Amino acid sequence: MSVWTRRAWSPYAAGAALGVVATISMAAFHKPLSGSGAWMQIGGYLGRAVAPDNLFFDRVVGRGFTYEIALLVGMFLGALASALASGSFAVRMVPDIGWRGSVLERWLVVFFGTALIELAAGIAGGCTASLAISGGGAMAPGAFVFMAGMFAGGIPVAWWVSR
Amino acid sequence: MISVILALLVGVAFGVVLQKGQLGRYDVIVGVFRFADLTVLKVLVTGVGVAMLGLQSLRSLGVIATVPLPATHLAAQALGGVMFGVGMALAGFCPGTVAIGAGEGRLDNVVAGSLGITTGALVFGALYRRIVPRLAALGDLGQLDFARLLDASPWLVVALYWECALLLFYILERRRARSLQSA
Repeated sequence: MSVWTRRAWSPYAAGAALGVVATISMAAFHKPLSGSGAWMQIGGYLGRAVAPDNLFFDRVVGRGFTYEIALLVGMFLGALASALASGSFAVRMVPDIGWRGSVLERWLVVFFGTALIELAAGIAGGCTASLAISGGGAMAPGAFVFMAGMFAGGIPVAWWVSR
Repeated sequence: MISVILALLVGVAFGVVLQKGQLGRYDVIVGVFRFADLTVLKVLVTGVGVAMLGLQSLRSLGVIATVPLPATHLAAQALGGVMFGVGMALAGFCPGTVAIGAGEGRLDNVVAGSLGITTGALVFGALYRRIVPRLAALGDLGQLDFARLLDASPWLVVALYWECALLLFYILERRRARSLQSA
């Protein structure tokens, strides 16, 4: 079985490869890896339609096919190719492992959970990719504060959900 | 045009790595917060360490002059981190891995995730002027890294980080070997 058709890599191998990708992004493009940045831009198109003079949507977020949008599109394509190659691709409405509620419950939880995540990424100034991994690689103390907060927030909620 | 293709390729590599690392899975993301599956922790700690080593090597060799360094705002990053963790434990993904799950055919990511994240971006934009300047001023250390904070060589920071990381991996793997033995 080749590296490409394997369903999962060792977390250490995946982590090392992730570190190399982050290094390339920051050294060659002078930009962190990012997930939340592209979504802020997508929100910006809607935000300007509703509130044209909003400072954030008008001045702060980027427009057009930026590096962040290219990353998000590329991530989807890369994951799709990788999942197809290993036979992990399957159209599904809820996670096949670990979810015990209904489809409606899942979609509502995802909606509120992801809205909170993106708001949080805005407040912190980054997400797992841009602040934790890229910022950590740049040795920024804020990256480690963010990661500590992430576990402090996630641990009680995960235990409460799985009661 | 070439820079767009290169950026897309970085994204593709990022996507492949996260998919092979199993970070598109709900049970894997939530598992780290329940200490049931430590994949996320291992990927995160290794990824940060390799990026640290890679960037510091390139700097020492003179290949790059600077690294994009996020500023440290203690209050904003602590509060944002806690909120982020709560959302991550609920949804089972983050702004980037929503695309990984989408690539695996997960419609909860594609539909509910896209709508939720975009809503979060809109809420942040609406609150931006009221919350960002105030929060950023609390515990503002500015743009500095651990080497400047500790007034130490960056290589010492890299070495200390890896010492802690390797100790953590040793403990995790020994624990795993023991639980496999007893099972």
